[in-house]
Amino acid sequence: MTRVALRGVRAHLVRFVLSVLAVTLGVAFVTGAFAFRSMLSSTFDDIIATTLGADAYVRGADELADAPAQGGTGGGGTATGFGTPRTPVPVALADDVARTDGVARAEPDVSGSVVLVGADGTAVITSGPPSTAFAVQDGDPGVRLTSGTWPSGPHRIALEDSAARTSGLATGARTQVVLGDEPRDVVVSGTFAIEASPAGAILVGVDERTALDTFAPDGLVPSVSVYADPGTSQQQLVAALAPTLPDDAQVVTGDEARDEASEGVEQILGFVETFLLVFAAISLFVGAFIITNTFAMSVRERMRELALLRALGASPQQVFRSILAQAVVVGVLGSALGIVSGAGLVVLIQRVLAARGMELAGSVPLGAVPLAVAVAGGVGVSLAAASVPARRAATVPPVQAMRDDVRPERSVATPAVVGAAVTLLGAALLVLAAALGSSTDETPTGLGLLDDLDPRWVLAAGAAGVLVGALVLSPALARPVLAVLAWPVLPLRPLGRLARGNVTRMPRRTANTAGALMIGMALVSVTGVIAASADASVRSIVDQEMAADYLVDSATFTVPAGAADAVAAVPGVGETDPVRLATLELRSRSDGSGGAGASPAGVSAAGVRPGFFGRALDPVTVEGDPAAALADGQAVVRRLAARDHGWAVGDTVSLRGGTRDLVVGAVIDSQVVTSDVVVPQDVLDALVPERQQSLRVVYVTAADGTRPEALRDGLVAAVQPYLVLSVLDPEEVASSFADQVTRVLNILYALLALSVVIALLGIVNTLALSIIERTREIGLLRAVGLGRLQLAGTIAIEAVLISVYGTALGTAVGIGIGAALPGVLADQGLTTLAVPWGQVLAVLGGAVVIGLVASVWPGIRAARLPVLDAVTTD
Amino acid sequence: MTVRASARGLVKVYGRGDTRVRALDGVDLDLDAAHLTAVMGPSGSGKSTLMHCLAGLDTATEGTIVVDGQDISRMSQRRLTALRRTRVGFVFQSYNLVPTLTAEENITLPLDIARAPVDRDWFDEVVDAVGLRDRLHHRPAELSGGQQQRVACARALVSRPSVVFADEPTGNLDSTSSAEVLAFLRRSVDELGRCVVMVTHDPRAASYAHRVVFLADGRLAGDLRDPTQQDVLDALGGLAL
Repeated sequence: MTRVALRGVRAHLVRFVLSVLAVTLGVAFVTGAFAFRSMLSSTFDDIIATTLGADAYVRGADELADAPAQGGTGGGGTATGFGTPRTPVPVALADDVARTDGVARAEPDVSGSVVLVGADGTAVITSGPPSTAFAVQDGDPGVRLTSGTWPSGPHRIALEDSAARTSGLATGARTQVVLGDEPRDVVVSGTFAIEASPAGAILVGVDERTALDTFAPDGLVPSVSVYADPGTSQQQLVAALAPTLPDDAQVVTGDEARDEASEGVEQILGFVETFLLVFAAISLFVGAFIITNTFAMSVRERMRELALLRALGASPQQVFRSILAQAVVVGVLGSALGIVSGAGLVVLIQRVLAARGMELAGSVPLGAVPLAVAVAGGVGVSLAAASVPARRAATVPPVQAMRDDVRPERSVATPAVVGAAVTLLGAALLVLAAALGSSTDETPTGLGLLDDLDPRWVLAAGAAGVLVGALVLSPALARPVLAVLAWPVLPLRPLGRLARGNVTRMPRRTANTAGALMIGMALVSVTGVIAASADASVRSIVDQEMAADYLVDSATFTVPAGAADAVAAVPGVGETDPVRLATLELRSRSDGSGGAGASPAGVSAAGVRPGFFGRALDPVTVEGDPAAALADGQAVVRRLAARDHGWAVGDTVSLRGGTRDLVVGAVIDSQVVTSDVVVPQDVLDALVPERQQSLRVVYVTAADGTRPEALRDGLVAAVQPYLVLSVLDPEEVASSFADQVTRVLNILYALLALSVVIALLGIVNTLALSIIERTREIGLLRAVGLGRLQLAGTIAIEAVLISVYGTALGTAVGIGIGAALPGVLADQGLTTLAVPWGQVLAVLGGAVVIGLVASVWPGIRAARLPVLDAVTTD
Repeated sequence: MTVRASARGLVKVYGRGDTRVRALDGVDLDLDAAHLTAVMGPSGSGKSTLMHCLAGLDTATEGTIVVDGQDISRMSQRRLTALRRTRVGFVFQSYNLVPTLTAEENITLPLDIARAPVDRDWFDEVVDAVGLRDRLHHRPAELSGGQQQRVACARALVSRPSVVFADEPTGNLDSTSSAEVLAFLRRSVDELGRCVVMVTHDPRAASYAHRVVFLADGRLAGDLRDPTQQDVLDALGGLAL
């Protein structure tokens, strides 16, 4: 029986090509995801090994745990910035450490963000990696001078080689940098190399004095790097240092520090990998439809052959296994090709990134486990997809061999009922999810059991229900929906009618083919709804909220202090409202209970001038009066933070250190404010030393009698020397928020494109195979005078109908799921539902194109069928 | 008597080398208008090949074929397609109808393909002649075998072709249905003035013809006018000897 199966594959290799290709694409994606991750891993490991090259580190004893990200952190970029932020240590500690036995040298780690102006006079902006300045000097391990000299004095810098390339600056060049707060003129004294690839980061070296002045004006640094004398191990070094340190400092070995750093990186990369694997799984799932259809058609065509085998004594199990053997061949072949192309894909990505200035580690490592997962995925999907038609093949009665007719497709009554039920259930869950998520009430439904459910899980279950339900229902919908969709082409006699007949006669097959596209398109339209809704939500909220005329923002997320003064000095400026960010430590809730490992929770805080609310921002007030609260020295809390921490107006929030407690004065809902609490600046100053605050943005309001438009030129001129600042009006603020969302969603679209491509292959596959099946009918049509172009036209119409059907169904499902999102994600700022109708129309137009593209090859094949062969085929 | 289609020195060779077969070996034949001509012969005698060549479905290796005054032996595929659409009608042994179209749509298919208007009077005449008026909106699957073949016959006639070719039109039918179809083909010649060529190996079917030509080993081997079933059987017996 195995021989029969293998001969079957060999005889009809072309038939299985697209199935193999579907597996190949899915497996390539899986392999690529794994390889990309391990490539990033090894790149970051190299960086960590280079930047954390010391034998031990002395650092603050306390972690600043749970410090929330503040509107895009980054700028910090310290050498030890991979792990959790900690309390700082004094620079002077380095001298004490250096005197300890076994220590060769001890250096405070001073580094911070920098803006480098390139040879073309504009700031060098990276697409993610930080621009970091740090102290370098002769004899530092891990760095090597490649030209010129090491920098000395405040107006000399050295550039890492790739930074020199990117910026176009060579040794001796004059340029500007923004170091700390102020722009300054500098000369490039030399270039240097580091041991690892900088992965796109811009590294600028300055002398130690400059670094300390700039980044540690208060004499505090994140850590001190300690290098051991020859012969002293890391453990001996730590043992020698530990007793000498003050209470608020600790020492760890270099290995520990590196492990902690890579742990943090691995966690982030894990998310990236999972994210990619989700899309790889979608691709494989979509590919499964192609395989099912291929095997269904192959079984259908071989019905008599299979019946003959049964008549000759083959058991149903043998027939079943022979079909599955073919599926294994398809799976293994596809997986092998997929692994190769996945590795190729990653090499390609590496080349592209390298060309854009992001060098990644050289090799494309693939472990045994990822390979096994990829192959198991490919073969598993292939087997699962083929098992349905295989079961059907196994149940062929032997008498079928003697009969001439082909069994008709099974009725679509069962799928209609089951599909409708599952879809309705899913829809009900979506409604429930929206109700749960949008309600501020504790018991939105009044049923205890339902109220306890997490709306996100309900949403996920509902979305899955609607999608699966629609897939099951699709065969039953195919006939009526296609009858309507075919309306515009019916006047094309007889092509329209022939095409409609062809797509409606096997509703299951049509639905399967369209199903692959449906999944992709459903995800595309959910993404589209999210994008449009996010855009609409952000715009409406920012428009309502922003009361100031302008916002001065920084590409490095920090506004130099001098710039704030310069802005305030512009004629016609009435008020400026700088916003300073810092992290506060809450008194741990587990304090007193003695729970080991309980770390203090951090909250992000913003310091503003009294009068900020109403003048600069006008947020939605949930409870209390924000303006009055600030005037009274109380805290204004964001609703999400209030919910997470259980705060209400009048509550007292105790902070670690105990210098001062905060009283919650008001709760607001805001898109613009991303800090958990907003306090008057003097309160923030009392809680957090100024150096740990960062000036994030400045709001600008025009003086009475000055038109805001008249202000812009003056503001732009005032911030121009600082290179990285931009002046935004409320409209532009809304756009910049929306752009962030759009950028993320564009990545989603790109990843979803693969599943659409696979779905396109599915249409090609179904058409090509159904043409083989319809050889005689095509012969008949050609015999009675149908021209080749007319035949190809009929097939093109079929493809377009299938494609539009899948897209229409997928879009409907996607919009249905998307409609529930604002209810659930209102807390994440998605408050307004917007359906991008323009995009929906464009996608449907795209579906027509997809159909036409898919029909090209099958159309040519059909047109080339010799008429006589077609007429005389048995 | 006008000649609707003719073949001169027709040779058709399949394959090459050892597998070379001369399916037709110098056939000369004239097909008259208003005649039902049956082509008979044992299996492999070349009768289907002859019909395929005459209808422009297959190209002859040597010789000329003239249909309705046009030499089709040198025609391009495009012109052959147009010829099939307008000058020639077909009835096959089985799989004659497009399953997704109704009986009426199947009948008007050649006109639809040619984007020609349907002559309603002629359509009604043909439909009444095949007796399918109450079946026009049924799909092929809802029709009996005989009804399907009659729809095929109506389709072959509706575009007023010069010649109708029927390849074993009754091969898959029971005797009652066969009689219906054959009677209709004869009537289409006698009453509607068509030229019909029918390949068959059923002597009873051949007895409906005005003329029966016999083929053996790719050559003409006999020609009977208005034969009875017995005449046909006798002639076939002579071929077997």
